[in-house]
Amino acid sequence: MKKALSLIMVLAMIFALCVSGTAYADSQLAGTYDITVWVADAIVDLTKQQIDDFNATNTDGIVFNAKVEAVGEGDAATQMITDVEAGGDIFCFAQDQFARLVQAGALAKLGVKAAETVRANNDAGVVAAATVGEDLYAYPLTSDNGYFMYYDKSVIPEEDIDSLEKIIADCEAAGKYFSMENETSAWYIASWFFGTGCVSEWETDSDGSFISIHDTFNSPEGLIAAKGMKKLLDSKYYLSSSDAAGFDSGCAVVVTGTWAYETVAGILGDNLGAADLPSFEVDGKEYHMGSFNGCKLMGVKPQTDAVRAAALHKLAQYLTSEEGQMERFNAVKWGPANLADQANEAVQANVALAALLEQNQHSLPQGQIHGSWWDIAKVIGTDVKEAKDEAGLQKALDNYTAAISAVFNMSDADKNAWSVIGSICGTNWDTDFAMTEGDAGVFQSEVLELKAGEELKCRQGKSWDVNFPADNVVVEADGSYIVQLTVDGDSGVVELIAQ
Amino acid sequence: MNETLEKRHMGLKASARISNTIIYIVLILMAVVWLIPFICIVLQSFRVESTWQVGYVIPQKWGWDNYVALWNSDFKRWYLNTFVIALCVAALQTVIVLCMSYTLSRFRFKLRDGLMRFMLILGMFPGMLTMIILYRVLKDLGLTQANAVPGLILVYIASSGMGYYVSKGFFDTIPKSLDEAARVDGATRAQVLYKIILPLAKPIVIYTILTAFMGPWGDFVFAKYVSFGTSAGMNVAVGMYGWLQLDQIGQKYTMFCAGGVIVAIPVTILFMCLQKYYVEGVTGGAVKG
Amino acid sequence: MKQYSDLEYLRLSKSQKFLYKLASFFTAIPRAIGNFFLAIGRFFKNAGLGVGKELADIFLTFKDGDWKTKTSYLVMGFGSIARGQVLRGLMFLLMEVVFIFYMVTAGGHWMSMLPSLGKIGPHEEYNEILDAYTMVYGDNSFKILLYGVLTMFFIVAFLYTWRLNVKQNQLAEEYLKSGRRLKTGADDLRSLVDEQFYKTLLALPLTGILVFTVMPIVFMILVAFTNYDGTHDGYNNALFGWQGLSNFRTLLTWSGSGVNYSATFGEILTWTLIWAFFATFTNYFLGMFVAMMINKKGIKLKKLWRTVLVMTIAIPQFISLLYVSKMFAKNGIVNGLLLDLGWIKQAIDFWGSTAHNGLLPRVMVIVINIWIGIPYLMLIATGILMNIPADLYESSRIDGANAWQQYTKITLPYMLFITGPYLLTSFTSNMNNFNVIYLLTGGAPTNAAASGAAGSVGYTDLLITWLFKITTGAEAQYYLASVVGIMVFVVVAVISLVVYNVLPSIKNEEDFQ
Repeated sequence: MKKALSLIMVLAMIFALCVSGTAYADSQLAGTYDITVWVADAIVDLTKQQIDDFNATNTDGIVFNAKVEAVGEGDAATQMITDVEAGGDIFCFAQDQFARLVQAGALAKLGVKAAETVRANNDAGVVAAATVGEDLYAYPLTSDNGYFMYYDKSVIPEEDIDSLEKIIADCEAAGKYFSMENETSAWYIASWFFGTGCVSEWETDSDGSFISIHDTFNSPEGLIAAKGMKKLLDSKYYLSSSDAAGFDSGCAVVVTGTWAYETVAGILGDNLGAADLPSFEVDGKEYHMGSFNGCKLMGVKPQTDAVRAAALHKLAQYLTSEEGQMERFNAVKWGPANLADQANEAVQANVALAALLEQNQHSLPQGQIHGSWWDIAKVIGTDVKEAKDEAGLQKALDNYTAAISAVFNMSDADKNAWSVIGSICGTNWDTDFAMTEGDAGVFQSEVLELKAGEELKCRQGKSWDVNFPADNVVVEADGSYIVQLTVDGDSGVVELIAQ
Repeated sequence: MNETLEKRHMGLKASARISNTIIYIVLILMAVVWLIPFICIVLQSFRVESTWQVGYVIPQKWGWDNYVALWNSDFKRWYLNTFVIALCVAALQTVIVLCMSYTLSRFRFKLRDGLMRFMLILGMFPGMLTMIILYRVLKDLGLTQANAVPGLILVYIASSGMGYYVSKGFFDTIPKSLDEAARVDGATRAQVLYKIILPLAKPIVIYTILTAFMGPWGDFVFAKYVSFGTSAGMNVAVGMYGWLQLDQIGQKYTMFCAGGVIVAIPVTILFMCLQKYYVEGVTGGAVKG
Repeated sequence: MKQYSDLEYLRLSKSQKFLYKLASFFTAIPRAIGNFFLAIGRFFKNAGLGVGKELADIFLTFKDGDWKTKTSYLVMGFGSIARGQVLRGLMFLLMEVVFIFYMVTAGGHWMSMLPSLGKIGPHEEYNEILDAYTMVYGDNSFKILLYGVLTMFFIVAFLYTWRLNVKQNQLAEEYLKSGRRLKTGADDLRSLVDEQFYKTLLALPLTGILVFTVMPIVFMILVAFTNYDGTHDGYNNALFGWQGLSNFRTLLTWSGSGVNYSATFGEILTWTLIWAFFATFTNYFLGMFVAMMINKKGIKLKKLWRTVLVMTIAIPQFISLLYVSKMFAKNGIVNGLLLDLGWIKQAIDFWGSTAHNGLLPRVMVIVINIWIGIPYLMLIATGILMNIPADLYESSRIDGANAWQQYTKITLPYMLFITGPYLLTSFTSNMNNFNVIYLLTGGAPTNAAASGAAGSVGYTDLLITWLFKITTGAEAQYYLASVVGIMVFVVVAVISLVVYNVLPSIKNEEDFQ
């Protein structure tokens, strides 16, 4: 039956081509294109269907002869960067890969009109995620790449789900795990910091290179976040994983996203609960855990032929249109980015998406984050786990800052700032004490308690590129000192002024 | 006198019995440890009540569903690809390795020592580094993605000459006097190889074929590089590795186990049958290096 | 150290002998290292002398040669053809024609681009009517480097052939002068299956190695001197160019603020060596032990035990190792079983524990590697143990030796002597054992101290998996991977050469035949 139908469709198309050949001649785009499309395994069949529909309905006479391959969203970016030429003409990827892809020259800019349409119809967060400078580089595929909490109703009573402490207690009482991937994924770690109001904002220039960072993870709020995280990490029944199958091997809570819905539903059945993340309590104050809200995007590979490029953009537009996104929601329950779709009743009735929407009130849009950030920030998890006390937690944050400033250019003010470092005040050449400039070229530290035999140096921009004096200063007698540095051209004099 | 001897004899027997019992216990424990993962994989592959990882071993509901799902997936294609690659590599690599090792064992020519030292040094470079360049070379030859199968065969066999150590060691153990006798009788060097040496080298030939055949089943790092984005060019390892990714593991985990069983069967059977030669080859050769 | 003569040595007591051997092993190490550098020096000296000699030879051949020889300097193979060695001559001529054709059509272009690695980068254009952006691509640095290297190989090969051609003329003249017959084409062909059969046999393998191993390695070494990475891929986003030694400086010294590559490298290297040591020797001794148990007289079902163990060899590692890694997850089967039995109160975080520099995961990978490795060693040891002459044991038993003495006096020395080279190769291949680490832990748990260095480094990461992370990581720093690769090579090479020079059983290759 299906075969017969498609046969008829093909015949009808050929017929239409013959009859209205003149009408198509207006369009420069008419023609047959061999293309490769990379999408996630779950939507391969759907995408094939959608391309057939496009071939049948478009008015430009475009016929795509498409090879649709299953390439996971994580893999797609890595493989595009390995070899852009051999990559899919149209491919899907998660937002965190966006900056890499633009820098690698693997994404074609959207035309002016196409960009306008996308901006008008999709949620602002997603549009921002696909923008570099003034230009759009990708089409919104979904707006559901965030995380929230799935839980087992038989273990966690409904009234407990707003409090992390209560949930942990329930888990421990039942001997069930609380599963959240804090040790290997910065994406989840950020939840704690966003919850206390920390931010990590990144600005790119038109090439997709990063020009500045505004990051407040290392702050009093950040320390509160680390304390909250430590509570969970210290629990006997904590598991660092985001695998929904954990429900079948001892988990009562898994923090993960909409893609896991079917697995969770399969395991928990009626006991499935989905909710926004809970609040955690530090020093008597409640903080609601935050999250990233991200999206999946569809990109077109840069082309050398304008006609082919235009045709491909038409297809991408079609696949990510209001109907295209709705079809995907119906087939695999991916949450749409299209504003009209988001208002749809069926979408709003979905348990997982509802939880995600709830969580979105506490989430930050996942801007353009540098690929290295994910590697750097995930270390916070292991550092916090190892920390013994508050100083340990603070050290985790200091490590993070050091790693960030090592990879990214610091602001000019930071680069020029001087600091004292040494075996002083219980530190061991790993902590910088800030200095402030008084008279021109004279920098002073706060009052420091120094002991005889301790050694120190002054350095600029927390790096050893410029430092004074050549040999370490050795403290001669215990006491309170101000460290004073006088810089004159290429030389600098360090003095200890007793208070 | 007689009595004490008897006693001593019995003591020896008893102590032998005790030590044998201990050995049996150790061996049984080892057998269990070695077999558990495989038994688990087999059991999981018959689980039909769910498709994800679970915390128990024995399925609640048994069935062939996962194998049926395998049959309906691209697995067939991957399996065929891998099988073709393994066969071709087994044939060609054996020829190359035997040429190389026989030559280095039997001929003394000017550059021989230099050549052996050079290859030793080459082998110290981490092969992973050259992946990207090999990929580009294959791409320029049009042997990537959908055509990954011939491309992979080419790369696997091209450098296989470097792995001559084991079989050279084996050839070294065949007395040179045999060659010389044949040469005196007027045989050419080529005839010596075909008529005298090869029949004696059966274990090492089989050993080489066996290892060459087994290699391609497990390679997924380079194979992934070469076949990315094209299901038609993948081998089993690359294809199945995709099933363990976050977006698929919930649906494909038990299929992965079933696939593992199907992959393991031919290699295991082959290995069991040819184990004798493998041992002869490896002991004749590996020890010499 | 005092050197003993043979006679003095024999008079020493057992413990003295042992100490002497030990001491001579260690005193040999500096000498071995010294010899290594001396050998390098000698190599260059000989190479320099060799080139001078060759040049003089070429000049003299031209001066003294007849017109056929002289013409051959320009038209390769002319002399051979003129003297009746048509087949040889034609081969030479064909080489020359092909080489000139290649250099004119392509090689010259690549060589001329090599110093700059390309001048024109890609740029974008906008087509207003179609509302579409297109890319206009320029040079391709990668191809320039690749084909540049290839062309250099061709040039070297051509020079060698040309030299051969001159030599042939010289020899032919000598032959004719002394009245000997020159070899005909048929003679040449016949010799390829006889005296020179080795050339026939080696042609194919060596070509493969040259193109698919040597050339890529040369290429990757060159990459270490460029800035080739994900954002300078040489074609799609930006060209890459030569950077001199700055990448090595980055790895070996403090690089700006915070990231300390040298410390990271040192840390990973240390673990790599520890891993290689344990992975090699645990397998070696336990494998031998298992083989001895199975081979012991009176043990039945020998074949069954062997078969069970050998299954780990037959089943592809990506299946067995991935499964084993899931088994030991915090909510995996092993923890579940231990909890049910009440042996532990709290699940053990086998892969995630960072205590004591990730001691637990490190021990775990070594233990699971034993599971993988014992069967191989068991097979090898079985074969060797069977070869030990039984009368050695018999006579030692009569002398009253117990099992332990037999082991230390007979079995172990025999094994060690025969498998010395094998131990060395398995040590170096364990250093580069990608599969076990990648499939079991992927390098986890994250090493906080080494954060910020390219790719995130974990406690179980070996140099080889770090290298993989660098190339496939966020920034795809191929140049850095290349530098690390070269360092890995240096480490492996030094270790091998030292051991190679100290081990007795390798040197005497002919002893075994």
